[in-house]
Amino acid sequence: MTWRGLPSTLRTDFRDDIQLLDSGFVRFWAAAGLVAALLLPLALTNFWTGVANQVFIAVIGALALNLLTGTTGQISLGHAGFVAAGAFTVAALITHFEAPIGFVLLAAAIVGAILGVLVGLPALRLKGLYLAVSTLAAHFVILVGVGQYQSTISYGSGFTIPSPSIFALEIGSERAWYFFLLPFALGVLLLNLNWLRSAYGRAWMAIRHRDVAAEALGINVALYKLLAFSASTSLTCVSGALWAYHTAFVSVEAFDFDMLIRYLAMVIIGGLGSVLGACLGALFVVVLPHIISILADKIPVLQGLGGKTFDLQVGVFGVAMLLFLILEPRGLAGIWARVRFYFQLWPFKYRAWES
Amino acid sequence: MNLLVVILIQASFYALLGMGYVLIYRATRVLNLAHGDLMVFGAYLFFQALVATGGSLTLAIMAAALGAALLGAMVYLGVMRPLASYPVAVGVLATIALGLVLRTIVTVIWSAQTRYPAELLGRTGQPITLFAGVNVSGIDALIIAAAVIAMIGFPLLLRLSTVGIEMRGVAENALLAAQRGINIHRINAFSWAAATVMATVAGIFFSIKVRLGPDIWYVGLAGFAPALIGGMDSLKGVLVGAVIVAAAEVLAALYIAPQVALAAPFLVLLVALWMRPWGIFGSREELERI
Repeated sequence: MTWRGLPSTLRTDFRDDIQLLDSGFVRFWAAAGLVAALLLPLALTNFWTGVANQVFIAVIGALALNLLTGTTGQISLGHAGFVAAGAFTVAALITHFEAPIGFVLLAAAIVGAILGVLVGLPALRLKGLYLAVSTLAAHFVILVGVGQYQSTISYGSGFTIPSPSIFALEIGSERAWYFFLLPFALGVLLLNLNWLRSAYGRAWMAIRHRDVAAEALGINVALYKLLAFSASTSLTCVSGALWAYHTAFVSVEAFDFDMLIRYLAMVIIGGLGSVLGACLGALFVVVLPHIISILADKIPVLQGLGGKTFDLQVGVFGVAMLLFLILEPRGLAGIWARVRFYFQLWPFKYRAWES
Repeated sequence: MNLLVVILIQASFYALLGMGYVLIYRATRVLNLAHGDLMVFGAYLFFQALVATGGSLTLAIMAAALGAALLGAMVYLGVMRPLASYPVAVGVLATIALGLVLRTIVTVIWSAQTRYPAELLGRTGQPITLFAGVNVSGIDALIIAAAVIAMIGFPLLLRLSTVGIEMRGVAENALLAAQRGINIHRINAFSWAAATVMATVAGIFFSIKVRLGPDIWYVGLAGFAPALIGGMDSLKGVLVGAVIVAAAEVLAALYIAPQVALAAPFLVLLVALWMRPWGIFGSREELERI
C-alpha cells in the first residue's frame, strides 16, 4: 500500500522493512535513472563526460569517507593520504611489474584494508578530537612516505600511467571510461547500501550513537571499528587507484590538504551519514568548480577576478561547508528529504512518524 | 651552543603558536585548524598597516593586534557560537571550512604574491649579542622576548585579573560559570580574540623573519603539535611541547633531511598520541576513553 511513492507505515515483515526499492514509484524512477545514466554520454561533450567520470570516482571516495565518518562516527582527516596510497599502489605495481588493472585494483583494496587496520588501531583508544588529530598526522606521514618513494624511484617527476585494458579492450577515451566507471560506482553504491541494511551497518550506527551502549548490546566494538576503518580505507584506496588510471599521472603534490578538504566538503555538504548525501555531495563538489569558471568567463562583474577563480572555488567550498554545518547539518540529503516530503504529503504539513 | 639557540628560537615561535591553540581549546573545546589562516590574516593586516604607516613597527603591530582581536571575536560569535551544542568533531570541521574562507579572502585582497615586510622596515638584521659568544638577529631576540612575556603574562592574567579568573571558570565548567552570572559568550569571544592576537604575533614574526604569502598557513598549522604534546588544556605544557617539537625539527633537518623536518612535528605527535594521548601536562579526564 503506497501513496505517491511514500512507503506504507505498516510493515508486516522484516524483509519489507529493509528492501531497497520499496514501492512501484521508486522502482520506476530507479529504472528511469539507470536508462538516463546509460544514455547520458550521448548528450555530453567529451569534456563533460570527463567531469562525469570524476564524479564517479569522487562518489566512491565520498561513500568510503561517509561510511567511516558519517555512519560509524569516527572522524577521519587522513582521507587524502589513503587516496594517495591507492594511487601510488598503481604507480608502484605498473612501474615494477606492469600488472593488469584487475590485479592492481585488488592490490589497492588489500593495501587499503591493511592501512585501515593500522590507522584504526589508535581509534580503539582515541575518540573525537584526538582521533581526528591522529588521522591527520597519519595523512602527513603517508604523504612523506610516498613523497620519498617518488623522489627515489622517479627522481621527483611523478609517474605516467598507461591506459588500462580489460579483455583486450583499451579504456582510453572518456566515453569508454564512463561505461567502465558507471557500473563500478553503482556497484560500490549497492555494496554500501547492503552493508548499511545488514548487521554490520546496524552495528556501525550503534557505535556512532553511543559505543558503550553498543558494547552492552553485545557488539564487539573494537572489531566493528576496525572493520569500518578497513572497509572505508579499502574503498578509498580503490578510488585513488581509479583516479590514478583516469588521470594517467601520479605525483605526490595532488594529494595535499586541499584534496582532504574536498572530500570532507563532499560528505558535509551532502549530509553526514547519508548515502544519497555522499553522492549528491560528490556531484556538487566536482561540478561546482567548472560552473564557477564558466560563470567567471560569462559574467562581467566576475571577470575582474580573472586568474583568481581557483581561490574563489576554495572559498565557495568553505562558505558552503560553514553554511551547511550551521544551517542544515543534514546537508543536501536533508533538503532533498524536506522537498520530497512536502510534495508527498501535500496538502498536509507533516507526518507523525520519522523515516 | 648555536644549535641550542636555534632550537630556543624555534621553540619560542612554536610556544607562541601553541598558546593560541590552548586558549581556544580551553574556551570552546575545539582544535582550531584555522589557526594557521588566522595567523596569515593577521600577518597581512600587519603588512597593510606597515604600508599605511610608512614603516612604523610599533604602530603597525598595534593596528594588526586590534584588527586580529576584532576578527577573533567575530569568528567566535559568527561561527563557533551557533555550533556550541554540536559534537566536537563538527566544530573541528567548521574551523577547516573557516580556514578556507580566510585563505580565499587573503588571496583575493592581497594576491598570492610573496612579500617581504622586512624590506619595508628597512632592517639590516644586525646581530645582537644575547650573552657572551652567542649572537642572534634582532627579530629572533624579539621572538624569544615575546614568548617569555607571553609565558609569564598569561598565567598571571589567568590567576590575578577578573577576566582571567572568569576564563578559568568557563574552562572548568561552562554551565556552572553561566549559573554564577559570568557571560560565557563574552569570555569565549575574549579567548578567541586573545588567541587570534597570539596567532597574529607569530605571523608578524614569521613574515619579518622569512616571508609573507598565503601559503605560510602550513607553518601555523604545525603549531597544534606542541599544544597536543604538552596537553591541550595546559599553558605550561605548551612550553615543553614546543621545546620537544623544535628540537625534533631542527635535529631532523640537520642530521636526516630537510623534507623530514617538515613532517617531524607530526611524527613526534603520533608517538606522543600513542604513548600519552592526553599530553604531558594535560588533564587525563579531558580524553574520553573507552
